[in-house]
Amino acid sequence: MLRSIISYGLAMGAVYALIAVTYNVMHSVSRVFSFTAGLLGMLGGVFGALFIGRMGLPVLVGMVATLGCCAIIGVITEFVAVRPVLRSLDQHLYVLSTLALMLLFQQFTAIEWSTEPQPFPALVDLTVAGIDQRFWMPVLALAATVGGLELLYRHSVVGRAFLAIAEDNFAARALGLPERNLRIASYALAGAIGGLAGFTGGRIMLAFFANVSPLNFYGFVPVALGGIGNNRGAVVGGLALGLFQQAANFLVGGVFASIAVYGVFIVILLLAPEGLLRAPVTRRV
Amino acid sequence: MSEPVALTAGITGTDRPLPRGLRALAPFAALFAIAAVVPLTGNAYLGLIAGRAAVYWVLVSGLTLVVGFAGQLAIGWVALLTLGAYVTSVLAAGTVLPPISPYLALVVAGAAGALVGVVIGLPALRLRTFYFAMATLGFATILNQIALAWQSVTGGGVGVAGPIFGGPFGSTWGFYYFCLAAAALCTWLSANLAASRFGRALLALRDAEVAAEASGISKPLMLVSVFLFAGATAAISGGLFASLQTYITPDAFTFDLSILFFMAILIGGRGSILGPLLSTVLLTILPEIAAPLAAWSTFLYGALLLAIVLLVPGGIANMLDFGGRRPLETRRVIAPAQSMLPALFVTARQPATLRLAGIVQSFGGVRAVDDLSLTVMPGKIHGLIGPNGSGKTTVLNVISGFYPPDAGTVRLGDATLPSGAPATRAGAGIARTFQKPRIVGDATVLANTMVGGSALGRASFIEAMLNLGRHRGDEKLLRERAWLALRAVGLADLAEIRADRLQHTELRFVEIARALVSDPAFLLLDEPAAGLSSDEIECLGSLITAISRMGVGVLLVEHHVDLVFGICERVTVLNLGRELAAGTPAEILANQEVNDAYLGS
Amino acid sequence: MPTSEAEPSHASGAEPLLVVRGLVAGYGRLRVLNGVDLTVGRADLVALLGPNGAGKSTLLCAIAGLLPHQGGQVVFDGRDLAGLNARDTVRLGIGHVIQDHRVFTHLSVTDNLLLGGYDLPRAARLDRVEEAFALFPELAAKRHEPGSALSGGQQQMLAVAQGLVRQPRLLMLDEPSAGLSPVLVDRVLAVARTLRTRGTSVLLVEQSVQKSLNFADRAYVMAGGRIVLEAATSEPDLRRRLKDAYFGLSTAAA
Repeated sequence: MLRSIISYGLAMGAVYALIAVTYNVMHSVSRVFSFTAGLLGMLGGVFGALFIGRMGLPVLVGMVATLGCCAIIGVITEFVAVRPVLRSLDQHLYVLSTLALMLLFQQFTAIEWSTEPQPFPALVDLTVAGIDQRFWMPVLALAATVGGLELLYRHSVVGRAFLAIAEDNFAARALGLPERNLRIASYALAGAIGGLAGFTGGRIMLAFFANVSPLNFYGFVPVALGGIGNNRGAVVGGLALGLFQQAANFLVGGVFASIAVYGVFIVILLLAPEGLLRAPVTRRV
Repeated sequence: MSEPVALTAGITGTDRPLPRGLRALAPFAALFAIAAVVPLTGNAYLGLIAGRAAVYWVLVSGLTLVVGFAGQLAIGWVALLTLGAYVTSVLAAGTVLPPISPYLALVVAGAAGALVGVVIGLPALRLRTFYFAMATLGFATILNQIALAWQSVTGGGVGVAGPIFGGPFGSTWGFYYFCLAAAALCTWLSANLAASRFGRALLALRDAEVAAEASGISKPLMLVSVFLFAGATAAISGGLFASLQTYITPDAFTFDLSILFFMAILIGGRGSILGPLLSTVLLTILPEIAAPLAAWSTFLYGALLLAIVLLVPGGIANMLDFGGRRPLETRRVIAPAQSMLPALFVTARQPATLRLAGIVQSFGGVRAVDDLSLTVMPGKIHGLIGPNGSGKTTVLNVISGFYPPDAGTVRLGDATLPSGAPATRAGAGIARTFQKPRIVGDATVLANTMVGGSALGRASFIEAMLNLGRHRGDEKLLRERAWLALRAVGLADLAEIRADRLQHTELRFVEIARALVSDPAFLLLDEPAAGLSSDEIECLGSLITAISRMGVGVLLVEHHVDLVFGICERVTVLNLGRELAAGTPAEILANQEVNDAYLGS
Repeated sequence: MPTSEAEPSHASGAEPLLVVRGLVAGYGRLRVLNGVDLTVGRADLVALLGPNGAGKSTLLCAIAGLLPHQGGQVVFDGRDLAGLNARDTVRLGIGHVIQDHRVFTHLSVTDNLLLGGYDLPRAARLDRVEEAFALFPELAAKRHEPGSALSGGQQQMLAVAQGLVRQPRLLMLDEPSAGLSPVLVDRVLAVARTLRTRGTSVLLVEQSVQKSLNFADRAYVMAGGRIVLEAATSEPDLRRRLKDAYFGLSTAAA
């Protein structure tokens, strides 16, 4: 049982952490949280099942196609739901515009794909040290993503430009950095990361249109707890959340597990609204 | 080439409460009249749809105050519908406790809803927008799961029968009229609140939180009040919903439903009651009209929401706002009328002095204000000047109570003002304006000005909700004071215009009018002359001088040194948070150190 | 308001590098610039002075393309800058160092400089970074440290160095001395002065009037969104005229 808790916990935790990273990447370049993070997770699973399962494409081709489609949806988010409302005075409109976009895609998927969870194909014929692929794939994806982002941010001028825009948008513009293009690229990257989360988590979560809401919520918890923009906090928070959830599931059962997660989430946020790893922000008048 | 139109006092501004009230009532009356005759058609299907719209509206009428007015994105409010539905049904069915009358069950549900509404809503005081939205969604999911799992009480996935209301409302049409009556009652209560100082306070908290607090509005108190109200109406709506559906299961309370309520408010227009009412009816009817597209209904909701957000963020209410759209003269001139001022200052007060002693304020290790002492006498104008970053605005923020100082005190007369408590200042007699005008763009200039008098209101939330005498007296008083203030600053012609249509310079004067409504003993002005033409600066100068002659002590922070030297009796020069020099304008001008600080030696 | 006809000190007869004519700009409905006229010649050192709130930073932002122009014209090296954004103007050869020595504190000194040359080919970018280190040895010593580890003065040097990576023909400096010790200020301004030898012009917005007058050939004074005084810094009467312009003494009570 312990083994089960750890394997499912780490696997789901890795999926949540990847969604959290998606939120972070989108937020860092636009100061906006998007409801499409969970959507991209769901679509990663659906596209994967569609390309590889139904259409029979080779695994690698299917994966690239999935990540590509999700990247495009990330860019659509920027164009349709983020950029137009950044200009308006009421910044909270983005909550509604991204929510609307999420609804559109979610319902389209429900109608055109299926309202029932569909099976997700086995991707590789590989069981490592007795651990099934559904458990190690998400964790591997998380490690690769976080490592890849580090490489990008530290060793490429584009990555450094991302960081610059995230830290000080105005100074970056004044320096002549192509802020708009970089934002679009960030959203594409975020799209791919979200898609990867759903793709590697497909064996556990299945290709189900209703995955959006739980992914949105549980993917957001690590962001809130670890601090916005803090990918390391997201990793720790995500894995911890996954383990906590599985433990609670096995020990007290589904409903109480949800209540426990929610309760802890709310309590921590009320005590530390900026997350556990950040100092409280004083309001500037 | 037309002459500039002078916005002089006394030309317009007559109060026409009765016709305005009737005009506002007409659309509501028409809608309810239509609803009342539906039973005459004998069409049960029509009755079901209309009844459902009425029940939804009971919830939305409360939620619109939370989402539209207070700006709190409680997307998961369907949780309260769920709660109300189950509480009413279970209590009426008698599965857990002995059965009680459905009417009583409805009341209990309302009370439970109010309580839970506050519990869900309170985090709004600490959490940012998106976090709060997520938290409410999480809560809604949890509640749904509880309903699914707690089989002994809720019947789990099988569900429970909805309450059957007996007596005069026992028949189908009887119950329909009951729902309609509930809808009408909630409309009345909500509209009363919307038109009261509480409605204005919520809008101010949404769009100009800092100015709201400076006007004496307490955010925690306001939010708790609306969450109580919205929670109660949502739960009652749930009870009615359960009866209408005749049988409820957790599946009935979907995410879609939550989005529906939310959208009704957005499409209807924030800050409005009529708009969301129309859109609730619209959104209830839509799936029925587009029946063949039933599977696509949520998709269409999403498309509609996106379209509204991108194209018409103001919603139906904005489209219907004909009066607010009348064309304005482009070459407007502000012409204050000082004769209006004396009527504004009615509070008998002992003249008190505003004293700062040894104020120290640091941000992250940097001292923005370093051991500053300053005295503002009643009826005198005190200027505060200095280079950028010298700490001028910080001083105002300390006096206003936004920043608790690291050391030092702010005293008004004998009393020390509590630090870090900005909402107490208005009551103490301190009013202020801001460097960047903080107003509610959606509301009229008059409504914005009336916000200044929030601390003067005597009626409670309940009295406002029921439109009782004391509330009506409050409104009359605030309205009169606001008109006086607008005439005094010269903007009476623009009183009924939406504030976001005004020019920046006019908004500065609106802020001054708002401050005057609170009948202040002291007025803090933060760079009021920024962006003004030289004529406007002269106007401003005479207005400030006239205000000070009413006995008001003025602390004027400014960059326009000529204005400061023109009207101030005393001037303090700040540099790097410390007092560089203090004295009369002549003394300051002659001061070598001041010259050096500005011109650099 | 008194103005004077001042010739650029080098008076080479060549067309001015930057011509601003009747520029109107602001933030939304707040108009800050009310018709600004200003010229910067080639290899010219110009100071822009004025009380706070006069619009000096806004002018630099409008020239740089960070703010849209609501009226008037800006011509740089014969090219109309209407509708161009900051990325375009940087590519055309305008460097803009904004106020408050804002560098990217989470990135290293080297990274900050690399970003200054974002659009350049990789090899050229690396070369220019080394040139910047040659100009500011203090920065070379800290090349791998994060921006947060630098003092205010060092951050200011880094910000100026960032602006120089692309070898602009016009460098605009917005209050580089704010909050810095006089020694560091002199250091930064000394570097800025040498830019003239490579044909770069400098438009300096500065708080310290004395330092500006020591630095520049010509000075403009702004107030209320307009130029109210234009003079060569060598003019003897300048300090008194500046005081008048700053304190608006024509309307102040004696």
